[in-house]
Amino acid sequence: MTSALLEVEDLSIEFATEAGPLRAVEQVSFRLEAGRTLGLVGESGCGKSVTSLALMGLLPGNGRIVTGRILFEGTDLATLDQAALRRLRGRRLSMIFQEPMTALNPVYRAGDQIVEVLRRHEGLSRRAALDRAIEMLARVGIAAPEQRMVDFPHQMSGGMRQRIMIAMALVCRPRLLIADEPTTALDVTTQAQVLAEISQLAAELDTAVLLITHDLGVVAETCDEVMVMYAGQVVEQAPVGALFAQPRHRYTEGLLASIPRIRKQPLERLPVIPGTVPELSAMPTGCRFAARCPQAQADCRARTPELRMLGRSRSACFHPAGEE
Amino acid sequence: MSALPTDLIGLEPAIGRSPVRRAAGRLLADRWAMLGLAIVLLFFVIALGVWAGLWGGNWMASAGQRWEGPSTRHWLGTTILGQDILERVLFSTRTAFEIGLIVALASSMLGALFGALSGYFAGTLIDSAVLWLTGVLDAIPFYLFVAALAFALKGNPWAMHIAMVATFWTTTARLVRGEVIKLKELEFVEAARAIGLHPLTIIHRHILPNTFHILLVQATIVFVAAIKSEVILSFLGLGVQDGVSWGLMIAESTTEVTAGHYMNFVAASSFLFVLVMGFNLFADGLQDALDPKRSGR
Amino acid sequence: MDLLTYTLRKLIGGIPLILGVTLISFVLMVHFGPDKTYELLSKNPTAEEIAQVRSQLGYDQPFWVRYGNYLGQLASFDFGYSDSTGERVASILSRTVPISLALLAPGFVLGNLLGIVLGLVAAWHRGRWIDKAIMGFAVVGMSISFLVVIIAFQIVFGVWLGWFPVRGWNVHDFSSYLHYVTVPTLASVFVALGYNTRFFRAVLVEEMGRDHVRTARAYGAGPVTILYRNVLRNALIPIITRIMFSIPLVVISGSLLIESYFGIPGVGKATFDAITSGDQPILKSVVGLTAVLFVLILIVNDILYRAVDPRVSLK
Repeated sequence: MTSALLEVEDLSIEFATEAGPLRAVEQVSFRLEAGRTLGLVGESGCGKSVTSLALMGLLPGNGRIVTGRILFEGTDLATLDQAALRRLRGRRLSMIFQEPMTALNPVYRAGDQIVEVLRRHEGLSRRAALDRAIEMLARVGIAAPEQRMVDFPHQMSGGMRQRIMIAMALVCRPRLLIADEPTTALDVTTQAQVLAEISQLAAELDTAVLLITHDLGVVAETCDEVMVMYAGQVVEQAPVGALFAQPRHRYTEGLLASIPRIRKQPLERLPVIPGTVPELSAMPTGCRFAARCPQAQADCRARTPELRMLGRSRSACFHPAGEE
Repeated sequence: MSALPTDLIGLEPAIGRSPVRRAAGRLLADRWAMLGLAIVLLFFVIALGVWAGLWGGNWMASAGQRWEGPSTRHWLGTTILGQDILERVLFSTRTAFEIGLIVALASSMLGALFGALSGYFAGTLIDSAVLWLTGVLDAIPFYLFVAALAFALKGNPWAMHIAMVATFWTTTARLVRGEVIKLKELEFVEAARAIGLHPLTIIHRHILPNTFHILLVQATIVFVAAIKSEVILSFLGLGVQDGVSWGLMIAESTTEVTAGHYMNFVAASSFLFVLVMGFNLFADGLQDALDPKRSGR
Repeated sequence: MDLLTYTLRKLIGGIPLILGVTLISFVLMVHFGPDKTYELLSKNPTAEEIAQVRSQLGYDQPFWVRYGNYLGQLASFDFGYSDSTGERVASILSRTVPISLALLAPGFVLGNLLGIVLGLVAAWHRGRWIDKAIMGFAVVGMSISFLVVIIAFQIVFGVWLGWFPVRGWNVHDFSSYLHYVTVPTLASVFVALGYNTRFFRAVLVEEMGRDHVRTARAYGAGPVTILYRNVLRNALIPIITRIMFSIPLVVISGSLLIESYFGIPGVGKATFDAITSGDQPILKSVVGLTAVLFVLILIVNDILYRAVDPRVSLK
């Protein structure tokens, strides 16, 4: 078995709060091969952002990794100190965030911020760094890149700022790009463009992408593989085609069923998943989805299901769909 | 269909507690804030006792020799005129609370009123007028203003209070204005407008109640500022005219301390320090309870 | 040229403020102020002499004329002569203002610098013991009255230790300057530090929570880079505002108290004497100049904003 670019094993993350320690992420495991795009899907609060922050070592002060390994190019990131992580951030692995409006420093020019990253990680001269930055801006589809370099962030639109972020993220040719809901805050047309640029660049630079989103449509368009999270756990992981053709976990099934689409027969009402996600402080034993699952049975509440291969997917369900 | 409850009072929400309950919970759990509150209440009881005539009534009489040290008759000794320092320092507690409460209440009301009007009608003449007024009052140096007012009112004992209120309401007004500007953009205000409520009703019933947390915090800050200012004003001769206050005691002490008579100074300074410290601790806790992000946790 | 027109426009915009301040002060101090007619007269004045003095003092003029004269004085910086000493107000000011500046500047600069440093340390280590310790000292510092500090320092440094003089201002060279300025500086820093540290810490903590700080971290920036490029630089606007607007407070109120107490012949002491003796020309000049100073500070503040934050435009 070839060693993947990124291998996460049994990652669990806890937060210290006024109400005691809360476990936001529970035993998450997945692999990402070089050059591939993995979509990480789930609703708000399922732990997907927290997972990505943990990969970068950017958990907030009260968060910590309690168990697990994060093997990136063979090194366990969870064991590295901040100094070592700083050498990797922006150079071997990069992250772009959801809010382009506030992600850039407003008092420095856009170009300066990219140049700063280049000079820090590659020790380039200012002139060389400027040239590289301009070249990168052109590659992310920015017209008149020399002009954009001297602009301040507040002089740019949201889509433009996000492109600057992408340029900054990829300028040092990282092996892994983590994109946390990069297009959620943009309007629909810009969304499509930005996503296309990310995909194209990733292909050109042979960069693996971990794309975090709550939008299954985006996943279908851009990802090779998909991972579904629910209440802090991975519930299903599959190649994109397999997931959409035959979802295994009942949660995924419910998600896909609730997407409005053109059907042969008109529906009375759109299917929804009843109930709400359980509180972090009051997680049920057994399968965390059981309370909302129409197929739940006694064993679902008694024991926690583990990820099992079924067809081309892995899912954590005792009674997955499509088995009949 | 089951009968809907016709009376909502007394029902608890199914999930979560109201913001007020949560803030109160945080405040009660904050040990330093509770210590501060205890101190303030203790002093308040002392002040009430003076009002009720239980103690501190003998602050003016020359009951002993001059500059006696602490003894069983005069626990903190006596002043240059033979007055009992303990009695004086207790009476001053009442003075401090009088000044603090009056100034805090009056400046809060003025600040709320003008701040709300200015904020709700932001950008109009009313707003500009209030902003101009607060700017002017801020630009006048505080001590000069008190002096000028003292002249103008020909030695009226309320000159100091009026000057303080006139100076301190501006910060409250500015903060309320800022909050009101944010509030009036929220949907519930738009809804109130849509059902035809008069602007003053909207301000009174919907907007002002949402500024109470600001008013409460500012009131405590103004209370502290008032009693601290009184000290300096009394030193300058512009403060308390009748009765005795910590400021007057400290002012009296300035000539004595070089000769080694510290009791007057120490007594008044200590009482002042403890009360101000208590208030500051409580005010901090109050602000943290109302806005937990403030302390950066 | 751009800057010049901007400044002019702002100055003109500041006129209502200056008018407001001078009007209110004038009404309070002069119109309702003490009637000094009889001080300048001998025992049994004739009606003629009374009228003469009143005319000399300008009491016979209508209100608006007197106010207009005041404004004229302000515009030409000529306030006539002191009621108490007869010296020209302008020369009194030119003598006392430099002393006040020399007295207050070190404390002002030190108080703010230390406040920023302590605020940075506290903000960076927020929640840990050093943060709590700094904040604890800050609360204590805030709770002690300035007057108490001054008296206490006088006792400690003057009476007990005798290291520094605590009265007067016998400054003729740099070492005597240091000698005289130390205790007042220590007192002002002590008192201001509590407030300053708390404010700066709050501003810095808020800035540290911003997204662009997270971005900087995500691209490998170390603590020093983050603190300087992402936190301090961005927090400059509220910091500058705070420092600028504390100037009137420090200069007027601070000087008043320190100079009266330590017997230093600066503008604060002159003002204090003027208050107690009712010397109107001096009071009028101080108030008027304070108003002008306030407007100037507003303008400088705006210009500094623009220099520091590209989002702000000079409009």
